[in-house]
Amino acid sequence: MTFRPGFRQRYLWNAVLAAAAVVLLVWTIFPFVWILLTSLKSPTDIISIPPKFVFTPTIDNYTALVIGEQHGQYASARPDFPRFFLNSIIVSIGAVALSIAAGIPAAYALARFNFPLKNVFAFLFMSFRFVPFIAFVIPLYILYHTLGLYNTHVGLILAYQLISLPFTIWMLRSFFMEIPLEIQEAAKIDGCSRIGVLIRIILPLSAPGIAVTVILGFMFCWNAFNFPLMLAGRQTFPVTVGAIQFISYEQVLWGQMAAASIVSVMPQLILSLLVQKYIVRGLTMGAAR
Amino acid sequence: MTTVRKRRQYRRQERLLPYLLLAPALVLLVGMLYPFGLGLYYSLTSYWLQYPNRFRFVWFDNYVSLVSEPLFARAMQFTLGFTLVAVIVQVGLGLAVALFLHARIPGRNVIRALMLMPLMMPPVITALMWKIMMASTNGGILNYMLSFIGVDPINWFGSTQGAVVSVLIIDTWGNLPFVALVLLGGLQALPTEPYEAAQVDGASPVAMLRYLTLPLLSPFLVLVMTFRTMDSLRIFDVIYATTAGGPNDATTNLLFMAYQYSFQWYQMGKGMAQAVVLLLLIVIASYVLLRLWNRAAENAAQ
Repeated sequence: MTFRPGFRQRYLWNAVLAAAAVVLLVWTIFPFVWILLTSLKSPTDIISIPPKFVFTPTIDNYTALVIGEQHGQYASARPDFPRFFLNSIIVSIGAVALSIAAGIPAAYALARFNFPLKNVFAFLFMSFRFVPFIAFVIPLYILYHTLGLYNTHVGLILAYQLISLPFTIWMLRSFFMEIPLEIQEAAKIDGCSRIGVLIRIILPLSAPGIAVTVILGFMFCWNAFNFPLMLAGRQTFPVTVGAIQFISYEQVLWGQMAAASIVSVMPQLILSLLVQKYIVRGLTMGAAR
Repeated sequence: MTTVRKRRQYRRQERLLPYLLLAPALVLLVGMLYPFGLGLYYSLTSYWLQYPNRFRFVWFDNYVSLVSEPLFARAMQFTLGFTLVAVIVQVGLGLAVALFLHARIPGRNVIRALMLMPLMMPPVITALMWKIMMASTNGGILNYMLSFIGVDPINWFGSTQGAVVSVLIIDTWGNLPFVALVLLGGLQALPTEPYEAAQVDGASPVAMLRYLTLPLLSPFLVLVMTFRTMDSLRIFDVIYATTAGGPNDATTNLLFMAYQYSFQWYQMGKGMAQAVVLLLLIVIASYVLLRLWNRAAENAAQ
C-alpha cells in the first residue's frame, strides 16, 4: 500500500504517523505507569491536588499487603492478600490439571475420529465460551451450599471447568489437527493402536502446544472473577476478588489497591511474554492464528 | 477367534472409542449441565433464599413480572445499546490500529508487544486501575490531564452519562488490543498478488482498502465482531468494580440485574429467570453471527 506523494507531503505524513504511534503507546502503557506510581505513594501523596509525578517513594503499600497492617486504619478493610495469591495459584493449577486430563482424550477424539455426534459435541463445548456465567452461578451457589462445596478450593476448581475445559479442548484440537495424517498412518501400519498413536505420536509432537495450552489456561483461570465472587468466601478468595476488598463502606485504600493490582498482574505479564505468539490464537479458541 | 470376528470386534471398538475418549470431559460437562437444568427449574419457582417456606412452583410468573418491570426495559436498552456502540467503536478503532501497525512504522514490534499487556489482565483489575485514574476531583489524573485542554472536571462514575462513557472507555482499553491483534494477524496472512495487480492498475490506497483489504479481511472482522458482541452482551466485571450498575441504574445491564436479584435480594427464582432471558438473547445473537461468519468465509474463499 505504498503511495508516492511529494517530499513535503511525505514529511507531514511521517509526522502524523509518529504522533499516532506516540498516542497509541501512551494510551496502552500510561495506566500501568500511573498505577505503579500510585502504589509507591503515601496516602497524602495519592490524594494531592494536582496529582504528583515527583514524590518520595514508599513501599508501605506493599508491606501492608504482605503483613496486613493498615497503619491505624479501619480494620474491616483488611484483606489477607498472601492467602488470596496462594488461592489463585491453587485453584488455577487445579482447574488446568483437571482440564488437561479430560481435555487431551476429548481433543484427540474431536481431531482424529469421525463419529455421528462429533460436530454436536464440538459445538456444545464451544458454546460454553459464550454462556452468561450467572445462569450457572445461581444454581451452583444453591447446590454448593447443600453439598458443602461452597467456599472450598474443590468447588472453585469444578466451577472453573466452565472456563478452562472448553478452551483446553478447542486449543488442543487445533494443535492436534496440525500434525500430518501421514505420520499417524505410518504408525498404524507398524501396528500401533489408536491409543498408541495418541501416546507415541500425537502427544510428543504437540508437546509445545500442550505447554502453551497449560499456560494460557492458567492465565484465563487467574483472571476469573464471577465464579469466586459468588462461590468463594474469605478463606478461598483469589486475587481478583481480593483486590476489590480494599473498597469498603468507610473508605477506599487506593495505595494498597494499586499495589494489589500490580501484584495480581505480575504473573500475567511474565507468562504472556512466554506465550506472546499464541495469545491471539488462545483468545479465539484456536480460530485465528 | 477367526480373523473376521476379530476385525468386527476391532470395528466396534473403533466406533466406541471416540465416546470413551470424550467420557471424562462429558462427565465434567454434565456436572455443569445438571446445575443449569436445576436453574431452569428454579426459574419457574418462587425460590427466595430468605423465605424457604414460600417455595412454590409458579410456572412463568417470574418471567411475566420481570418483563413488565420498568427496569427490565432500561436494562435491555442499555445491554443492546452498549453492545452496539462498544462493538462499533472497538472494531472500528481496532481496524485502524491494525492497519497502522501493518504499515511499516518504526517501533511497531515494541507497540505490538506492549499491547499484549492490557490483553491478558483480569478485567476487574483493569477496572480498578481506571477507577484510580478516574477519581472525580482534579486529583484524578485523567481529569487533571483533561484540564490542560480546557475540559472541566468530569464526574466519571457519579453522573449518568459519565458512568456509561467510563464503562465504555475501560472496556475498550481492555479489548482494543484483542481486536487489533487478530485483525493484524489477518492482514499479515493476506495474499500479496491482488495488491501487486491493483498497483499496476493504478488503484488508490483508499480503493485498495475498500475493494481488496476489507473483503479479504471479512472473516476476521466477523470473528472479532462475534467475540466482542458476545462478551459485551454479558459484561459484568467492569460494571461491578466501578459503577455497581449505577448511578440510578444507568449502567445496569441484563446480567447485572440478574446478579442483583439473586445475590443482593436473594430471589433466586427471579434472578434465574432473568439469566435465562439473557441466555436466549445470546443464543439469538450467536445464531446471527455464525451465519454471518459462514457467509464471510464463503465470500473470502471465492
